[in-house]
Amino acid sequence: MIVSGLEATVQQPRLSAFQWALLAPGAVLLVVLLVAPIALMAVVSFRPFIAGRVGSGAGWTVRNYTELIEPAYAFYFYDTLRIGFIVSAIALLLATPLAWQAARTKRRAMRVSILGLLIGLLFMSLVARLYAIQMTWGSNGPLAFFGTLIGIPARSAGYAAIQVAIGLLHFVVPMAAIILIGTFQNINPKLEEAAASLGAPRWRVALTITLPLAVPGLLSAFMISFAMCISNFVVPLILGRGIVLFTTNLMYVRFSDVANFPSGAAIGIIMFALAGFVVYALAGFVRWLAPAEARP
Amino acid sequence: MTRMPPSVGTVVDWAAGVMFRILFAASVLFLVIPIVVSVVLSFDDRQFLGPFPPTQFSLRWYRSFLDNPAYLEGLIVSLKLAVLSTLISTAAGASAAYVLSAGRWPGRDVVEMLFLSPKFVPTVVIGFSILGFASAIQVFDPFTRLIMGHVVITIPFTVRATLASLIGIKRSLMEAAISLGAPPWRAFLDVTLPLARTGIVAGGLMAFVLSFDEVAVSLFLSDPFTQTLPIVLVAEMRANLNLTVAAVSTVFAAVTVLIVFFLDRVVGLDRVIGQGLYRG
Repeated sequence: MIVSGLEATVQQPRLSAFQWALLAPGAVLLVVLLVAPIALMAVVSFRPFIAGRVGSGAGWTVRNYTELIEPAYAFYFYDTLRIGFIVSAIALLLATPLAWQAARTKRRAMRVSILGLLIGLLFMSLVARLYAIQMTWGSNGPLAFFGTLIGIPARSAGYAAIQVAIGLLHFVVPMAAIILIGTFQNINPKLEEAAASLGAPRWRVALTITLPLAVPGLLSAFMISFAMCISNFVVPLILGRGIVLFTTNLMYVRFSDVANFPSGAAIGIIMFALAGFVVYALAGFVRWLAPAEARP
Repeated sequence: MTRMPPSVGTVVDWAAGVMFRILFAASVLFLVIPIVVSVVLSFDDRQFLGPFPPTQFSLRWYRSFLDNPAYLEGLIVSLKLAVLSTLISTAAGASAAYVLSAGRWPGRDVVEMLFLSPKFVPTVVIGFSILGFASAIQVFDPFTRLIMGHVVITIPFTVRATLASLIGIKRSLMEAAISLGAPPWRAFLDVTLPLARTGIVAGGLMAFVLSFDEVAVSLFLSDPFTQTLPIVLVAEMRANLNLTVAAVSTVFAAVTVLIVFFLDRVVGLDRVIGQGLYRG
């Protein structure tokens, strides 16, 4: 949560009964349906697994966590983080020109088309988009030659990772672009005009004026893309062909194939902690880069 | 007038401009091409999955979609689930957002974190933990479990959207109503609610779309007899590659275009994203 540094002017010491009544239903729902289940999951993650039995045994153990350090499991974590990192980096590269054009163009039609495309993609079913990607980039699709071009033919096992990366990119580029539109819109164009009127070529203006001002936004976009990628479930499920599995898929397999609830719970707790860390680190980063007085 | 040789700066500028345009075109094409391909393929007349583009067109895959009861049952479950969870999370989220926007009170930040946190918890974790919790409290009905999961994942969106629209509403309007003798609930219903309408509607729309498309949570909480449309589609996609799913995707794409059009008319796309500090 990025809590704004601005203090509200009105200090209200206590909530009225009416305000409590408005707040209570949602708060109760979330405590019962989010906090309690995750707390229970944390407890289960320390229970031993008894093969052939649904649920968990009695007593306590850390084995569900220690077994994840074994190379066979650690590899899933490594693969998830690696693909997530590469995809987030490429997503910035693809989202930047879209966002820049939408933020700075003087043509209204151009701006509305880009915004319409990005918002439309956010609203369009991801399942449908992943199917479209399979049809387009899959071994039978019109863009399958791309695999051959980079030396990983569409029919080879290595292409599964490429397909997962393409799916994730399609998922995160619109989100990254929308974040960056906000960033670019809040950089004062007068600064660039001033530098240009003093004779700086445009590439120098971009590197020395625009880029440093955009760093907090670029970082946010990167971290949010990264968090979205590593917690994604559907993309590897549909496009991974069973070759590329993320930790999310591993968690599902632990539950659906071997009914190992404690192990699934341990993976869940690690993912929960990881997601929390990324968000916390993001908020810290942004605060560190943009001190309170510089924020709008 | 003598012609100046181009300076290094201009050459770099020119190259950077070309690079920018190529990258811009590449990302638009990257986002658009798959959707065009699947829309075209959905009208393919061939019975098998042939190379692109198709040579003959027909509506056979749309007929096969309508003929398959699994899709229609999934669609009904999904619609019921999305409508119910949207109603619950919009009611709970919008009223909580109203209290969150009313100044600062002790513990406000913690409560705000509670309401926005489901957005940052991976959906598999939510699905998995609710499944364990539901069986611990003896809830085995799949539809009830699905509602539980979908309300959790949609609440942050309704809270966010309502909060955003409430920031623009002057507190003085509400205070004026109260000072004229309206009880707080009356002022809330007659003043705040109508003014926050766009935010509430936008949040509800997001909640609906999110619930309608959810896979991870639904996969954990459904059972073989109560399946949502996305679960049916995923199963179909993994089992056999026929083009019925392309027909469904095309319908989804068409609905999305309608939603965007509606959003532009009612709220304006510019307002959805915001103009920022220096535009306009």
